[in-house]
Amino acid sequence: MNFTQQLVNGIVLGHAYALIAIGWTVLLGVARLVNFGHGQMYMLGAFVTWYGVSRLGLPYFVAIPVAMLVGVAVGYVMQRVMLQLTLKQDLVSIMIVTLGFGYVLHGAAALFFGSTGQILETPFSTKDIYWGDLWFTYQDIAIVIVAILFFAVLKYVIDRTRIGRLARMVAEDPQLAQLAGVNVRRVYLGVFAFEGAAVALAAALVAPRTPILTSMGFDEVIITFVVVVLGGIGSVTGSYVAGLALGLFTAFFGAFVSPAYATAAAFAVLIAVLVVRPGGLAVSPGGR
Amino acid sequence: MNTRPVLEATNLRVAYGGNIALDVPRIAVRERELVGVVGANGAGKSTLVNGLLGWSRGSPKVSGKVMLDGKDMSRLPPHERVKAGLLLIPEGKLVFTQMSVEENLAASVNAPHDGQGRRHYSIDDVYTLFPRLYERRHHLGSQLSGGERQMLGIARALRLGPRALLLDEPSIGLAPRLVSTVLETVRSLVDSGLTVLLVEQNVRAAIEVVDRLVLLERGRIIAEGPASEMRDDPRIAEAYLGAHVA
Amino acid sequence: MNSGIKTVLFAALAVIGFFVPTLLGGSGAVYAACVLIAIFAVMSYGLDIVVSDLGEVSLAHTVFFAVGAYTTALLSVSAGLGPVLSLAGAILMVLLVAAALGFVTLQLREFVFSLVTYAVAVVAATIAQNWDFLGGSDGLRGIPAFELSWLGFKARNDQELWPVAYLLLLVAIYLVSAFRRSKLGQAAMMVHLNQRLAVTSGVDPQRIRLQVFLVSAPITASAGWLYAYQRAYISADVLETYFLILMLTAVVVMGRRLLLGPLLGVALIQIQEKFFSFGGYVDKIILGSVLILTLAFLPNGLFGVVAPLRNLFIRRATPVGKTIPERS
Ligand SMILES: Nc1ncnc2c1ncn2[C@@H]1O[C@H](COP(=O)(O)OP(=O)(O)OP(=O)(O)O)[C@@H](O)[C@H]1O
Ligand SMILES: [Mg+2]
Repeated sequence: MNFTQQLVNGIVLGHAYALIAIGWTVLLGVARLVNFGHGQMYMLGAFVTWYGVSRLGLPYFVAIPVAMLVGVAVGYVMQRVMLQLTLKQDLVSIMIVTLGFGYVLHGAAALFFGSTGQILETPFSTKDIYWGDLWFTYQDIAIVIVAILFFAVLKYVIDRTRIGRLARMVAEDPQLAQLAGVNVRRVYLGVFAFEGAAVALAAALVAPRTPILTSMGFDEVIITFVVVVLGGIGSVTGSYVAGLALGLFTAFFGAFVSPAYATAAAFAVLIAVLVVRPGGLAVSPGGR
Repeated sequence: MNTRPVLEATNLRVAYGGNIALDVPRIAVRERELVGVVGANGAGKSTLVNGLLGWSRGSPKVSGKVMLDGKDMSRLPPHERVKAGLLLIPEGKLVFTQMSVEENLAASVNAPHDGQGRRHYSIDDVYTLFPRLYERRHHLGSQLSGGERQMLGIARALRLGPRALLLDEPSIGLAPRLVSTVLETVRSLVDSGLTVLLVEQNVRAAIEVVDRLVLLERGRIIAEGPASEMRDDPRIAEAYLGAHVA
Repeated sequence: MNSGIKTVLFAALAVIGFFVPTLLGGSGAVYAACVLIAIFAVMSYGLDIVVSDLGEVSLAHTVFFAVGAYTTALLSVSAGLGPVLSLAGAILMVLLVAAALGFVTLQLREFVFSLVTYAVAVVAATIAQNWDFLGGSDGLRGIPAFELSWLGFKARNDQELWPVAYLLLLVAIYLVSAFRRSKLGQAAMMVHLNQRLAVTSGVDPQRIRLQVFLVSAPITASAGWLYAYQRAYISADVLETYFLILMLTAVVVMGRRLLLGPLLGVALIQIQEKFFSFGGYVDKIILGSVLILTLAFLPNGLFGVVAPLRNLFIRRATPVGKTIPERS
C-alpha cells in the first residue's frame, strides 16, 4: 500500500483518537477519576447522532449538539450517583461503578436502538476528495480541524481561565480548594458533564468512518487508555501528541501487518512502556 | 464596644469514630480581637479551628452551632462559610504546590462585597504586605520555603475578603526570628481591622501579641482570659512546657 | 461463636446444600441453574479475594476464566485428556498467565493497574475471536462428557454433573476461608487497609499482590474448567463483559468479605436471569444497576442493611452490663 496514503490515514486516525480521549484526559487530570463507561458513552453518542440524522431527519449540525446534550446528561447522572464515592476518593468503587454504567448503557442502547449494525452518514462522510493518488473524505478533514480547535481551546481554558484554575485546584487538593471557596461537588459534576459532551462530540465526528453497533466501545476504551497513559496522565498536550502517534502506528501496523490485531499491538506497545518505565508516566495535576 | 462577637461557637463537639476530640461549650472572638489558642500536641487545637469551618482532611462528626456576625453557619458546607468571610489557613499543606504564587493569589471565587467589616485585599495590597511574594510571584508553590508558604496562605485568605481569620500554627517549623515576624504581621492585620483566632504552640511568642488566650487540654477549654492575666497562670507554664517536651 | 460449633454448623450446611436441587423439585432446569450457580460462584470467589481482601480491582479475571475453559477444551478435544489432567493443565496454564500479568503490573497501582487488566481482557477477546488455534469466532466444539473412568463416573447431564460442581464449590469456599486465616490473607488485608504500615512492618506489597493473584487465578480458572464440560463447547463469549459484571456484582452485592457472599450473590443473579428474566437487554440493565446502586448507596452491601436487625437480636440476648464491641 501507498506510504503517503497511510500517512494521511494515520494523521486522520490520530486526530480521531485524540478527540476520543480528550474527555477522559480532563477527567483524569482534574478529578483523578476514571470512567470505564467511556466506550459505551462513545457508542451512545454515535447512536444518538445516527438516530437524529436518519430517524428524526435532523440536520447533522443539529444532531451533534443533541448528542452532546445527551452526553452531558449521562455524565451528570453518573457523577451525581457517584458523588459520595468521589468525595471519599474511593477509586476502587468508582471504577466498578463506571463499568456498571457502561454495561447499563449497552443494555439500554440495544433495547432502544436495536442490535443491528448501522451506518452513520453525514454530509461530509460521503464526499470524497482525490488528491493525486491520495484519497480521503471531508469528514476526515472535519475530524482533524475540530480536534485541533478543541485541543487549543481546552488548553487555553485550563491554563488561562478561572474555570481552568478552579479545576486544577480541585485536581491538586480538593480539601484545600474548599478552603479557597471552591464548590468541589460542582467541579466534579461539571467535569463529568464535560466528559459526556466531549466523547459524544468525538463519536458524532469519528463514528461515520465505520459501521456502528451497540456492542462497540471496547476498542475506544483501550485507545483512550493508551493515549492517556502514553501522553502523561492528565496532560492535554501529551494526549494530543500521543493520539497522533498512536494513529500513525495503527495505520501502518494495520496496513503492513494485520488490521485485526492493531489495537492489540498498540496495547502491547503500552505494556512494554509500562514495564520499562512504570514510574516514568508522572501524573500532572490539572491537565496541563 | 459592639457586644455581639464576630465569631461565636456554642456546644461545638467533634468526634473521630467514637473518640470525642473536642467539646467546647462556648468560644467567641470579638471585633478586631486576636485570640490565641494554645495547648499541647493533640489537645484539639486544629480540631477546633477546622470544626469552626466544618472542614477536615479526615472524616469527623461535627456538631454544634457556629455564628458569624449572628448568621448561623452550621448548616453551610465549608466553601460557603469561606464565601461568607470565615477563612481558615490550615495546618500542613496550605498552598497549591503545582501553581505559581500568582495563580495561588488569583481570585478563586467572587467573594460578595456586601458583608460588613470585610476588607477585600487586592493583589497589590497583599504584595505590599508581603514583598517577598511579589519577588517570587512566578515560582511554583512547591518551590517556596516554609515561611513563604505561610505568607502565601495568609495572603490567599486575605484575597478572599476575610471577616474572621482562623490561623493554624503559622509559625510551625520556622526559625525563631521568623516566628516573631509572622506573629507581628498577624498582629498588624488585627490592628488594621481584622478579627483573628490564632492557634500557636509557641506560647511565649504568642502571649506577646494576642489579646486573649484560650488553653485547651484534651479537647476542653481549661483556662481562658486576657493575655496579661494568663501570663501568670501556672497552667500556662505547664502547657508551655508540654509543648517543648513533645 | 465457638469454633467447634461453627465447624459442625458449616458441615451441616454443606450437607444440606448438596440436596438443594432435590429440595427444589429436581427438574432439569433446577439442576442446570444450580450447576451454573456453583460454577459462577467459584469464578467469583477467585475475584473475591483480590477485590475484598487485597482491595484492588482486577478486570482480567474473565481471562483467567477463559484460560481455564480454553485449556480444558484444547486438552480434552485435541489431546484426549480426562478431567483430572485437564484441570491440572488449566491450573498450570493460568498460573503462567497470572504470573506474566502479575509481573507486568507489579509496579502499577490503582487505576493504571485496573486499566491494564481491563485492556488485557479486551485484547484477549480480540485474540480469541481471530486466532484459529483457539477456533476463532467458531470456538472449540466437541468437548467430551465429564468422565472419570477409574471411578466409573460419567456426567451426561447437569444432574449428573452436580456432585462435581458442588464439590468444586465447597473446595473454593474452603480455599477462600483458609486464605483469610492464612498469613498471606492477613498480609493482603494489611496492604489493603494501610500500605504504609504494611511496609514498615516488613510486608512487601508487590510480592503480596503477586501471591494473591497466584492463589486467585486458579480458583477462577477451575470454574472455567468445569464450564467447558458443562457447555461442551467454548468460544470467545467466555470473555464477554457479562462475566466480569457478574463476578463484580456477586462479590459486592451481599457485602464484602462475607464467606458466602459471592455464592448468594451469584444465586440471586442467576435466579433472576433464569426464572424471572425480562429479556437479555433488560437483564443487563438490572444487573448493571444492582452493581451501581450497591456500591454507591450500600457500602456494606445488602447484608449491611439486614445486619442491624440481627444486631437487635444479639443485643437483646446480651446480659446487662456486658459491653458490646463496636462494629467497625
Ligand atoms: N483524622 C483523624 N482521625 C482520628 N483522630 C484524629 C484525627 N485528627 C486528629 N485526631 C485526634 O484528635 C485529637 C486532637 O487532634 P488535633 O490535630 O486537633 O491536635 P492539635 O492540638 O492540633 O495538635 P498539634 O499541636 O500536634 O497540631 C488528637 O488526639 C488526635 O489524635
Ligand atoms: Mg494541630
